[in-house]
Amino acid sequence: MKKAIKRLFRSNYLFTAGVIICLFWIFAAILAPVIAPYDPIVQDLTIRLQPPSASHIFGTDNFGRDIFSRVIYGGRYSLLAGCLTVVIAGALGTFYGAIAGYVGGKADNIMMRFSEMILSFPSLILAMIINAVLGSNLFNTMFALVIVAWPTYARLMRSVVLSVKENEYVTASEALGASKLRILLKEVIPNSISSVLIMATTDLGNQILMFSTLSFLGLGSAPPTPEWGMMVSEGVDYFNKFWVSGFPGLAIFTMAIGANFIGDGMRDLLDPKLRKQF
Amino acid sequence: MKKRLLAALLCALMALGLTACGGSADTEPAEGADAAATETTDADGGNRTVVVAMGSGFSTLDPGRVYEKYPPMIVNACYENLFKFNSNDGEAEPSLAESYEFSEDGMTLTVKLREATFASGNPVTSADVMFSINRCKNLQDNPSFICDTIESMEAPDDLTVVFHLTQPDSAILSKLTYSSLAVLDSEVVKEHGGTDAEDAVTADTASDYLNTTSAGSGMYVMTSYIPDSEIVLEANPNYWRQATNVDKYIIKIQPDSNTQMMGLSTGDIDVAMNMTDDTMAELQSAENVELINAPTKTVGFVMMNMDESIGGPVANPDVQQAIRLALDYAGIQTIVGEGCVTPYSVIQDGFMGSKGVRETSYQDIEAAKQLLADAGYADGLDVDLTVCDLDMEGVALTDLAQKVKEDLAQIGINVNIVSQAWAAGYGDAYREGTIPLTVMYWGTDYNDPNVQLEFLPGETVGLRAAWTAEMNPELNAKYAEAMNATDNDARIAVLEEIQDMMYEDGPFVFIAQAPAHIGFNTRLDGVAISDPYALDLTLINIK
Repeated sequence: MKKAIKRLFRSNYLFTAGVIICLFWIFAAILAPVIAPYDPIVQDLTIRLQPPSASHIFGTDNFGRDIFSRVIYGGRYSLLAGCLTVVIAGALGTFYGAIAGYVGGKADNIMMRFSEMILSFPSLILAMIINAVLGSNLFNTMFALVIVAWPTYARLMRSVVLSVKENEYVTASEALGASKLRILLKEVIPNSISSVLIMATTDLGNQILMFSTLSFLGLGSAPPTPEWGMMVSEGVDYFNKFWVSGFPGLAIFTMAIGANFIGDGMRDLLDPKLRKQF
Repeated sequence: MKKRLLAALLCALMALGLTACGGSADTEPAEGADAAATETTDADGGNRTVVVAMGSGFSTLDPGRVYEKYPPMIVNACYENLFKFNSNDGEAEPSLAESYEFSEDGMTLTVKLREATFASGNPVTSADVMFSINRCKNLQDNPSFICDTIESMEAPDDLTVVFHLTQPDSAILSKLTYSSLAVLDSEVVKEHGGTDAEDAVTADTASDYLNTTSAGSGMYVMTSYIPDSEIVLEANPNYWRQATNVDKYIIKIQPDSNTQMMGLSTGDIDVAMNMTDDTMAELQSAENVELINAPTKTVGFVMMNMDESIGGPVANPDVQQAIRLALDYAGIQTIVGEGCVTPYSVIQDGFMGSKGVRETSYQDIEAAKQLLADAGYADGLDVDLTVCDLDMEGVALTDLAQKVKEDLAQIGINVNIVSQAWAAGYGDAYREGTIPLTVMYWGTDYNDPNVQLEFLPGETVGLRAAWTAEMNPELNAKYAEAMNATDNDARIAVLEEIQDMMYEDGPFVFIAQAPAHIGFNTRLDGVAISDPYALDLTLINIK
């Protein structure tokens, strides 16, 4: 495995680039108070809508706030929302799908129809409705994203579990008298998890985009929180001041593409069927 | 390697696409304007056609039904009313009316008409006036409420109309200027299915006709109307008064302000109604273009709930006054844009009887802190500010909320902004008066200061801040007083009293009047922002 990872880094430049980009944003988010030259929220109307310059390298926005500082702080929300959504939705979907697949029968049928019911709604609209009803803040946005995202994991997990549970080591465990829960936790899930992991890493970029989309539509934290999506939407009124929405847009772009590169690399590493010839 | 090549190719393609977009926009002249330029030229070879671009279409041009922002511009050019606003900050002046008189008790208004003619050649008579007003009333469409205070009318002779009112109404002259009460050529409209009978709501079929042409006594006649695209107005050959020297108007519906800006700079458009701060900056140096920024009567305000169980600390009058003192009015004007002003109090700058603007030097942080300390909040306080997703003439309310948050932080009030969609609960909560603190805006239904009386305690908007009549009976009594004051001097006096009483008291802080931005070609004279008509086409001349 270690060898494989090393090989992956050396041979898959995109994966390496993805890791570098993501590490960059993670560090930026953690060290935001150190890196950011200004307070991301404090306004100064005397310098509003200034183009990029030495003192404000990304320029300033409508309220004279430093866009560079806001972009740096904004990484926190995007990363937090993206990672938490994937982890929670992934965990939820994994257990749900594993139970459905392993138990089978009527329970499987009911559980899967329920998850399909959620899947049948257009995901963005569903997330918007949940957000609008609950009120929009960071927590509710993540909640909405999780609600929309988990059924996909559940379906994937169920399909993998259906084939894994036919393996002889599962039958052997059953013969040894292991409880169903034990078999599920010790045999079935560990042997099915890799496909969920692949999906989670590719999904990270999607979730970050989705979160930005919602916050662009005004359904995220309330202003003046420096969320990237919201910053982009604040800039659309300033058509020929590219820096107002351009830099946060670039941040979303790099973050999403970095996460996608990692996802691709992970798939190459973990999915034997797709494994490249190194 | 292949992947990288692909990425590079993609980048190149995108760059190409961008330059292509920029290029095509520059080289795309509006062919309509060119065609128009060759159509009507005077003896000197000068162009007597004016092209106007405006931001949004509308559902109807039937005067009896119009209620949207832009139709009054067309109606004002093609029809005339008994009264008219000749300037943006004046009072209603006689137009088709020659003189008017209120009865002693304010319950009767007698209007003498001028001898005028419609575009069809028919004379304008009192029967036409009654027909038009009754039709608007009986169509029971959006603007019918404007006739609510008109009980009945009678016509002692051809040139006199007597209005019997349900109550004294000091706004009646302003209401009579409203496009819905434009005087129609009753003969022509009846021919095309129009009726003013009580069953007009179902029996009247003249709207289709009035959407293709006009039937008024105005300076222009509408010759073509393509919904959401273009309206053509041509000079009325039978106009009974002195007309301007513009022969023809082509009004284009062109929502994008960048398109308008480009048309204006190339000369394809003569008047652009929807400029923005950003597009204006582009034209600052253009020689053939002049820009106007002026406040409209759409006003943004901070509303604090008077009910302590809802508003908490902001229900306290001292806290309310501290908030009023803490706001940075100059900064708010910067955010709202060029041409924005802060009204003195409840009545917008520009209305008859308005006390003008609140000085930006009104801000006094020290005094505000002192007031807060006196109210028992020396250590500051936390409060939620709910804001919805609407915008005030292009300025997002969340932008205003962010500015208010920043300003209040200076006196130790920690504002937590909560955003809630209008459709997802905000609208209901706002109307029911259950929001503790909010930033909202208010557009006027018709051009009269009386619309602002709704902000008084016990009235529609006042109650949205849980401001009941009992909380300030003296101010509440001014409502009736202002409604009854048909004499202009008395009216101004009571309006000024109201403004003074609300200058430093009450749950509303009026923070900004949204500006309108118009750009126009310097060959025109008389272009001005107009609240009642958006743009008064009858005042524009070609130099």
